[in-house]
Amino acid sequence: MSQNIKVIPRPSNSLRDKLYLPAIADGIKVTFKHLFKNVNDINTVETLRYPEEQPSDITTRYRGLHRLTHRKDGTEACVACFMCATACPSNCIFIEAQEREDGLDEKRPKSFFIDTLECIFCGYCVEACPCDAIRMDTGIFSLTGNSRKDFVMDKERLLSHKGAFSEEVSCARG
Amino acid sequence: MSTASIAVAIISFVLGTLLALLTIPVLVWLERRIASLIQDRVGPNRTNIFGFRLGGLVQSFADVVKLLLKEEYYPSHIKMGKWLFMLAPVITFVAAFLAFMAIPFADTLIIDGEALRVQALPIDFGVFWYLSISAVGVLGIIFGGWLSHNKYALLGAARAGSMVISYELALGLSIISFVLTYNTVDFNAMVHFQSGTFFGFIPAWGIFMQPLASIILIIALFAETNRNPFTVAEGESEIVAGFMTEHTAMKFAMYFMGEYVAMNTASAVIVTTIFGGYQLPWIDTKTLLENFSIFALSLIITLPIVVFIMIRWMKKNNRVKSTLSSDGGRNFETKVLSIILISVTLSIEATLIYLAFVAQNPLANSLAIALFQIVIFVVKMMLFNIFFILIRWTIPRFRYDQVQKLGWYYLLPLGLFNLFITAIIVVGVSS
Repeated sequence: MSQNIKVIPRPSNSLRDKLYLPAIADGIKVTFKHLFKNVNDINTVETLRYPEEQPSDITTRYRGLHRLTHRKDGTEACVACFMCATACPSNCIFIEAQEREDGLDEKRPKSFFIDTLECIFCGYCVEACPCDAIRMDTGIFSLTGNSRKDFVMDKERLLSHKGAFSEEVSCARG
Repeated sequence: MSTASIAVAIISFVLGTLLALLTIPVLVWLERRIASLIQDRVGPNRTNIFGFRLGGLVQSFADVVKLLLKEEYYPSHIKMGKWLFMLAPVITFVAAFLAFMAIPFADTLIIDGEALRVQALPIDFGVFWYLSISAVGVLGIIFGGWLSHNKYALLGAARAGSMVISYELALGLSIISFVLTYNTVDFNAMVHFQSGTFFGFIPAWGIFMQPLASIILIIALFAETNRNPFTVAEGESEIVAGFMTEHTAMKFAMYFMGEYVAMNTASAVIVTTIFGGYQLPWIDTKTLLENFSIFALSLIITLPIVVFIMIRWMKKNNRVKSTLSSDGGRNFETKVLSIILISVTLSIEATLIYLAFVAQNPLANSLAIALFQIVIFVVKMMLFNIFFILIRWTIPRFRYDQVQKLGWYYLLPLGLFNLFITAIIVVGVSS
């Protein structure tokens, strides 16, 4: 039994450690160095001064506010298949379908609403979309409004959002 | 009672009150800014009045307004001792506040042969006053925690009680050492003693004459103010907010302010007892009075240099990062503050020149020196407050049994040993 017992020696048990005060002095040296550096020049602090300074590290995979992509002729790429609305875990996508007249596809959304107050920004709608019509690559991370209505995005508003990184045209319905 | 004595008494009382109360927002601001700067953050710096941020100091006043306007919530489960529950925070606050009143801010003024103390309470037994009044502060904590009828609050109160028996003996012993060394219980006489030298050149400050007692005093006062590393009466991780769990709005603010006043008082006591109080090392009031023109001349030379450094520091730091397009009024604020600083400096210079080379009025000279000593005292006190804050963000907390162990196994024997040695030396020197 005793062979399983492993005695680990204390890291240090010197008089210096028992006195506490030298260790406290060492600690003060560290904190004071930081304090002095930052009091001397506050702008060395790497804090993002947010409203004036915008983040520069938003990656292509960042899930920002949604947008609907376009075709080459400027119409929406969405075919109103309801895949995104079905995949949505918080049921915040509301689509009404309508027949498409120009012969490119069979259907188009008559109305397309995303309630961003309900949305949890999980990105399942983007995964589910078969024709690359909905994306979350706008890079918009801050969404503000004065009333609840401002947060319910309609089709026109979603189409007006610009992609922050890649092409404007849908890959599947270009 | 002459007019001068009444005026000095009123002015020193107002000064004491202002020093105790106005330092609260400054200390809260200092605490938050220094904490953030130590942790490489920015801290609160946005709140402003007409674009004037004063480095974030305005935030403290916004906090005061918030606490005053908050709903006064009264826990309905407290049936008995309501009045004591409400009174408890006041006890803590008032005790810390009154203890501050015995501190001298400047040397005794002599007007028409009458000695007038620049002390909010003109008493010559300041040490006793401080020890007795500041010990009452913990009663507020114990009452508040006990009458909350809340387990966390009761535990916090019990811990506060355990703290008292840990540090009070060591504090008393170290102060007795100082009383023996200085041969007085008057704070002002203590400062007088410290303006001398020993071995010819070392200033007779307590920290050099009684290093061991000084360290014990500082540790005990850290415990008395409930500051880190001795914040045992409250602990977010184990007993929520401790004794003040049930206290809201202004009742909480009372405890909060009491803590900062206590810290301020502790700094003042430390500065007065072991760092020479309101005096510069080697220079006592008599020397200053006799060589007033030299003193005025050196101040006239030093003041612009200090102000110049301050303005340069402000220009460097009161601006936004160079990558930002708008500066949000920082330049304007810097300009206005610089103008204010320069005009104040110029008026002080003019007054000093007038006093030193034109007026030659001994009364005006002694008043100027008293003002100078008040400034020295406040600077020293603020430096020690900053030390308190620095310690808080440097070392982790003690467990409350560890505090007791520290107090009884280490500080008490060391204090007794120091007292013994001090007594032998004092008797040896005086005989």
